[in-house]
Amino acid sequence: MEKPKFVYVTHINTTPEKLWDALTNPEFTQQYWGGRRVQSDWTVGASIKHLKADGAVELRGEVLQAEPPRLLSYTFLTASGDRVPDKKSTRVTFEITTAFGVTKLTIVHDGFEPDSKLVFEITNGWQAILSSLKTLLETGAPLPFNYKC
Amino acid sequence: MNTNPKFVYSTLIATTPEKLWAALTDPEFTAQYWGGTRLESDWTAGSRIVFRWQGKIVHDDTILKCEPPRLLSYTFHPLHMEELRSEPPSRVTFEIEEFKGQSTRQGPVVKLTVTHEDFPADSKIFPMISNGWPDILSSLKTLLETGRAIEFAKGT
Repeated sequence: MEKPKFVYVTHINTTPEKLWDALTNPEFTQQYWGGRRVQSDWTVGASIKHLKADGAVELRGEVLQAEPPRLLSYTFLTASGDRVPDKKSTRVTFEITTAFGVTKLTIVHDGFEPDSKLVFEITNGWQAILSSLKTLLETGAPLPFNYKC
Repeated sequence: MNTNPKFVYSTLIATTPEKLWAALTDPEFTAQYWGGTRLESDWTAGSRIVFRWQGKIVHDDTILKCEPPRLLSYTFHPLHMEELRSEPPSRVTFEIEEFKGQSTRQGPVVKLTVTHEDFPADSKIFPMISNGWPDILSSLKTLLETGRAIEFAKGT
């Protein structure tokens, strides 16, 4: 049975450098990522944390690949975080390319177990995050909603 | 197990259902984000819908469902390439809903979900639309939010 994974492509009117910054700068991520600050020193092997508005760690992971401004990959200890510490980490990869003069972002979130329901849960989250990221880079403001943190 | 391919893509757009509906059904609008393609129909179930590109009809299809501003579905049968013309028509559906999620909204946000299905298992069209829809839908979102579609350069 094929393992489930989430794949999403979006084209953004921006530069690869600005998109890289938007993915790796916590001041930027908290604007479009449901208020989460994504923190790391972005070197291979470094830890990465997703912090909620109150400073609590929601997700942990490890940077697997970091080649600015083209390729970023890190592990993701499930969308429900510390609640299921025994579950295997999943992995998210951001690939930034230039296609037809436009910056293209491809996100692959994989490493789910064959019977995982989690992949369906994270799909809604990624669609909101990536839609708001595009809006923020193109208009200067994220989509007009706030997450309950 | 059903192994026929199916494409599903959702995007959230800062607009109203009515404006998004207009963007999907007004040929002046579609031409801006759909690579110059004008979608022409009277937008009632059972009616003909044609895609016109540079004056030529490149799709000749049928509206299956039309419930403004929430639900639109039509057959999808490219005519402009011989190898695609021989494939049976597939079906594309656009669903528009107000986005709620885990959020308190401060302005209108709609969720557009595009589902493209009914392909044969060995479809040649499926890989093409899988690349094409993210281009078109990214540009549609940009047009509705900024007033200008994405300008994809030709060739490279």
